Amino acid sequence: MADGTKFLAPGESYDTARPRAVSRERVGRRRLIDQVARRLVTLGGVTIIASILAILVVISAEVYPLIKPATASPERTITAGLDSTPLAAAVDEYREIAALVTASGVHFVSITDGTESPATPLNGLNSARVVGASPLGSGSFVLGLSDGRVIPAEVKFPVSFPDGRRRVDAELAMQDPITVDPERHPITRPAYASTPNGPVIAAAVSSKELTLVTVTETKPLIGSPVKQESCQRISLPVDGEITALALDGRGEDLFAGTSSGQVARVDLRDPNSPKIAEPVDAAGRVGTGVSALGFLNGDRTLVVGSSSGAVSSWQVLQTAGGDRRLVKIHDFAPHADAVVGFASSRRDKGFVTADASGVVHLHYGTTGQTLLTVKTEGDGVTAVAFAPKADGIIAVNAAGRLSHWTVRNPHPEITWKSLFGKVWYEGYAAPAYVWQSTGGTDDFEAKFSLVPLIYGTLKGTFYALLLAIPLALLGALYASQFMHPTLKGILKPTIEIMAALPSVVLGFLAGLWLAPLVEQVVPGLFLMPLVLTPLILGGVYCWRFVPPALRKRLRHGTEIALLIPIVLFGAWLSFRLGGLVERVLLSGDYRTWLLNVLGLTYDQRNSLVVGFAMGFAVIPIIFTIAEDSLANVPQHLIAGSLALGATRWQTAIRIVLPTASSGIFSGIMIGFGRAVGETMIVLMATGNTPVMNWSIFSGFRALSANIAVELPEAPEGGTLFRVLFLAALLLFAMTFVVNTAAEIVRLRLRRKYQQL
Amino acid sequence: MNRLWKGGEPFIWLTGAALAFSLIMVAGLVILVLVNGLGFFWPSSVVRVRLDDGRALMGQVTEREQVPQPGAPPGTPVRYRIQLKVGNRDLYGADFVWIDEAKIVQRDEPVDALLVERREWGNLYGFIQGVRDGDREIAQGPAEGWNSLQVHLPDAQAVVDEIRRVEKKEIGAINYAQERLRLHMKKLALEGRQDGAEVQRLQEEMTQWSARYRDRESRLAELRERSRYALVVVTADNQTKELPLAQIVRAYRPNAMGLAAKTGLYLSKVWEFVAGEPRESNTEGGVFPAIFGTVMMVMIMSLFVTPLGVLAAFYLREYAKQGPFVSAVRIAVNNLAGVPSIVFGVFGVGFFIYFVGGSIDRLLYPEALPTPTFGTGGILWASLTLALLTVPVVIVATEEGLAAIPGGLREASLALGTTKFETTWRVVLPAVMPSVLTGLILAMARAAGEVAPLMITGVVKLAPALPVDGFWPFVHLERKFMHLGFHIYDVGFQSPNVDAARPMVYTTALLLLLIVLILNLTAILVRNRLRKRYALAMF
Repeated sequence: MADGTKFLAPGESYDTARPRAVSRERVGRRRLIDQVARRLVTLGGVTIIASILAILVVISAEVYPLIKPATASPERTITAGLDSTPLAAAVDEYREIAALVTASGVHFVSITDGTESPATPLNGLNSARVVGASPLGSGSFVLGLSDGRVIPAEVKFPVSFPDGRRRVDAELAMQDPITVDPERHPITRPAYASTPNGPVIAAAVSSKELTLVTVTETKPLIGSPVKQESCQRISLPVDGEITALALDGRGEDLFAGTSSGQVARVDLRDPNSPKIAEPVDAAGRVGTGVSALGFLNGDRTLVVGSSSGAVSSWQVLQTAGGDRRLVKIHDFAPHADAVVGFASSRRDKGFVTADASGVVHLHYGTTGQTLLTVKTEGDGVTAVAFAPKADGIIAVNAAGRLSHWTVRNPHPEITWKSLFGKVWYEGYAAPAYVWQSTGGTDDFEAKFSLVPLIYGTLKGTFYALLLAIPLALLGALYASQFMHPTLKGILKPTIEIMAALPSVVLGFLAGLWLAPLVEQVVPGLFLMPLVLTPLILGGVYCWRFVPPALRKRLRHGTEIALLIPIVLFGAWLSFRLGGLVERVLLSGDYRTWLLNVLGLTYDQRNSLVVGFAMGFAVIPIIFTIAEDSLANVPQHLIAGSLALGATRWQTAIRIVLPTASSGIFSGIMIGFGRAVGETMIVLMATGNTPVMNWSIFSGFRALSANIAVELPEAPEGGTLFRVLFLAALLLFAMTFVVNTAAEIVRLRLRRKYQQL
Repeated sequence: MNRLWKGGEPFIWLTGAALAFSLIMVAGLVILVLVNGLGFFWPSSVVRVRLDDGRALMGQVTEREQVPQPGAPPGTPVRYRIQLKVGNRDLYGADFVWIDEAKIVQRDEPVDALLVERREWGNLYGFIQGVRDGDREIAQGPAEGWNSLQVHLPDAQAVVDEIRRVEKKEIGAINYAQERLRLHMKKLALEGRQDGAEVQRLQEEMTQWSARYRDRESRLAELRERSRYALVVVTADNQTKELPLAQIVRAYRPNAMGLAAKTGLYLSKVWEFVAGEPRESNTEGGVFPAIFGTVMMVMIMSLFVTPLGVLAAFYLREYAKQGPFVSAVRIAVNNLAGVPSIVFGVFGVGFFIYFVGGSIDRLLYPEALPTPTFGTGGILWASLTLALLTVPVVIVATEEGLAAIPGGLREASLALGTTKFETTWRVVLPAVMPSVLTGLILAMARAAGEVAPLMITGVVKLAPALPVDGFWPFVHLERKFMHLGFHIYDVGFQSPNVDAARPMVYTTALLLLLIVLILNLTAILVRNRLRKRYALAMF
């Protein structure tokens, strides 16, 4: 006993036997450690749990800007000394300089400090005045003069970086005047398009007459290019007089609005013989005229503003008969006064309209939404400009007062309706659900409908569960009720391994091995349940005729050993029969038969293949949970049933199955959750085309695969990036809700078993 | 008969058939991957066929299948066709041809048929015509050429190895040092120091490195000059091809090899696969970088996931007051295991890469901007994302272990006067360790097989450098990496030559499958031992 243990002598008190002071100190220290540890564990635990739950918060935070409403904040208002009412306005990319068209020409005014740079004198203006201008938004435009001529011009804002600081300049490039109207009427409403073949200019010369000038430039091999001007007069069959003109950038269609509210279209695709289409009533109300016309970015959608303040968008659509008609797409929130100004964004389908009382609206063409309303101080507006980056609005009134707003609206194309509803895109005959995030051309409009993706996810899940649920549940019933315990000891790890197979391996096998294989044996595959069932039943029947001595050797619960060869034989048989059926009934090739009789096309990577591969991934999950709840049904219930004379099948189906039904349900729910979120299998085994049909022979594009494919390419903070986060949020919500429901059901079941 | 139906015996058989079907699917899958994955490296014999139109082809038979004859009357004799890997992509354009067996006039296996694995253009099949040294012929004919090849090939390969060493190690080090100097100078410039002693020193150092670079370049040129031996091969259809020895990875005559030689070759190819670098856009060579990336990612993940998961489980089971809140948290944690992995990936992109990584870049690496350092996908972010993905697995396993520890064990310890921490630390933690281990192994298995979240958080098809190398700080957590699972996806689905890539995909799949299965089996074994131990320890 050399380890310091003290023995108490009789009568000796405990206090002296053990030094108390040391003990107290030690106990104190131990208590302190205990307290600190408790705090640390609690803190750590709570932090980890909170950070796990923060997933939801972070993803939502990335999605939130999508649905944040647009805002506008007023900037400094300045007053430019102008010689007349401004006719049109434009602004540079950085919103530093505004270009204003007045009777004497084009003026450049700094928006930041109000200084004005001297106006460039116009070529050959002589005594004429500028009385009209085509929209400045797209760069080149024409100025209409009071003597029947126009001057093609272009405003440029060159940006340079001397000394590392940004400097924006403004310059006006112009060409020689072109005579549009030999009778020298003032050109108040010119329309202009610069096409690859040369410029096209249109102007109203009287109340119902237009003049159309096309300049074609031909370059001979030697010498300077030859310009050929042709001038035509077009008389329009309209009521009222022409009040607005718009010509698309390709020079294909000319639109004229009238004071009676009609819009007439002149088809210029054959420049030598313009065709005049039937005028359409576009102003909305009787007795109101068209007061503004303009195109959205891409020049496919026409916006009509009326003198009553109504704003609507129109498109020329090809009808079934082959002719083209002007069709109304959206009505926007109306103004209280006549629409006098229009400007469209150069990067998306947004546009602004201004009315005579000084109210400016910001709309988005594709969604039909009016996003923002701002009011200028003082009286009416005569011209508006939308900043090239779609981040600012400039409005000018007759007195030269320039109002300026900064607009914060990074994702104007996203509304709940555009994400989940049908949207009428340009060039589409009708509203549709479309997912198309990237395109080839500059004015391509990204289409973000999540519906085809959700549809694809549910389609894949459906076919996977179609295979997995029967196999997993029947298998679980067998394993839990009838299987021999020794065999079960081997089976359970096998199923667990099945659950652990990496989905990328399953996906690769499905895409590269299964898909070409399935293509050859589709009829046989569909015959398989029809062949296997009678075969197995026949097997049971035959088994009765096997001599009892042999039969006894197969114990209850080991039927499966006998069944494996039967199933293998059945599979082989059904493939052979499938070939026969194809030859005899399906005229030799099932793919042609599918196309001719059912109208279905066969894709090699289709839902059938996904169903197999994803079913394979889901089977072990459903199996494990269902087997668990079936095996845990209290034994006394089963024993009671068997004692009353029920067979083991009757017991299983009448007693065990109903008792465990909620556990089975929760297994299916969790299997559903897994199938919904599965990424690699759907990525590799489907064609990833966002089509919407339920055909088992076509592919689909699922939410999860879509994220995996597109997120690496999506610029941070862009609309696509945030929409993909929204897709992830949807997946999260779907699986979390389903899993929570399943978990609660399972806990209830466990309590029920304890009570039974 | 009626009684048979009522008793339900046939239905039992039907349920059994469902289970049998599932088991057949599992077994079939494993066998399929095993056969295809293992068979790829076996040097099967080279077959020469002469067709009825006079063409001659030589290659290895990869597949034999029935020719589909749609619309043929019943009783038509079945016809077969073989797929021949004829290689010689530079001469023929495609590596594989399908040949109808009916069209084959003559089929033999020439003993001196040569198979050359090349660094570029895939395999070459043909016969040796000779070996040249520059313009001088030093060996002629198959036999003499073969012997000469045996003599000169090791030298040529040594030169190739030396070239690679210079390129990767020495020039790589120079590039690395130069890049660091450049960043250092940029950093000084950002601080407003455009000149001064330090800048001058850096510039001097830069010129030194440049000189060293030129020196190494000339050494490379000299090495390239040295390898001037070439093998002249004539193909089955009498085209001649001159092949520099430096282009040869391996040359052998499968038809002349015995079983032992073939086995040796097989093993050497397996070794190349496991330890070699990928070639020909990943469709040939080895997968070592992918194995390394997978293992390293799983290790980093384990480093995070174990303490975090254990801490959370101890809080939930030992420290928190049991009640509706803790039950709700427990359900949430359980459900997190069912949230799609891609959602975790999206979280990783939004939080780790752009938020945390972006902030780190702005604070610590402003000189490298706009090129991101941590603000882009990398092995650290991928590991953290997977740690988050697998932390529920560890929590659940640890909690189950904690619940299985008999209450008496804790009470006995407390009764001896220990504090709660001491009980937890000395009694509960050692007892629960096997459960933690099970959870960790399961988490590792899940992480090793997961691909979707990695695709968006830092996996690439070909990483220029491993995340660990000889340059300080040796472990580069910001680097992108390769991963076996992604390798399967990339080679199988993004590669231009799917037929040639397929065996590679099977082999990689087999490797991944083995890793995952071994991890899972270990977890199952650990768990079973654990159960037995507690079955005895009950008191």
